[in-house]
Amino acid sequence: MRRYETIFILRPNAGEDEIHRVVESTSKIILDEKGTIIELDKWGMKKLAYLIKKESLGYYVYCDYAGTPAAVTEIERKFRIDDSVLKYMTIKTAASITEEGIQEALAVIAAKANALLESEETEESDSADAEKPKTTEETE
Amino acid sequence: MAQRPQKKLFTRRKSCRFCGEKDLVINYKDVKTLRSFVSERGKIIPRRIVGTCATHQRQLCEAIKQARQIAFLPYAGSSQG
Repeated sequence: MRRYETIFILRPNAGEDEIHRVVESTSKIILDEKGTIIELDKWGMKKLAYLIKKESLGYYVYCDYAGTPAAVTEIERKFRIDDSVLKYMTIKTAASITEEGIQEALAVIAAKANALLESEETEESDSADAEKPKTTEETE
Repeated sequence: MAQRPQKKLFTRRKSCRFCGEKDLVINYKDVKTLRSFVSERGKIIPRRIVGTCATHQRQLCEAIKQARQIAFLPYAGSSQG
């Protein structure tokens, strides 16, 4: 098992069903290859840094998983066929991951989610501000 | 022989931000941090100007290139080109 993370961008005009379908098919491939999904996060609509297939917006989906190289090739093959996927990128984050490693990673993510929930409860207004997409342009 | 005037007058010692702040990790998803290491045109700023150490500059370079691939950062021009 290796640990990968895949980000893919869907067309902005793709409906809920379309997004759901792509996400489902991806997770199905991972599970079929006896992999485990560690984190699946829909980042939602974001502005692209450059145009992709004449689109300036994109719906980002992030997936962190443990899987086999075969699963990755299959996922990427599907993405290439699928018209609603603008772009995708897979990065190998660990060359090997054990069962314990997966559990550990899951625990880390669960802890993070809990911390986020708690902070939201205590200071709702502050977290709402932080959630807003940044539009800072200055670089130097 | 007259000595040449000293050219370097005000040069602040540059230091690697990633060595200084240990909890700052280089990740291609962290666009906010990466932004400060590319120019307005989207080019990676060389080490001699930003002052990062060789190890971190290498990692940074990789991260910026990955961020460009997935359209977090522009290849050229400003981000809203």
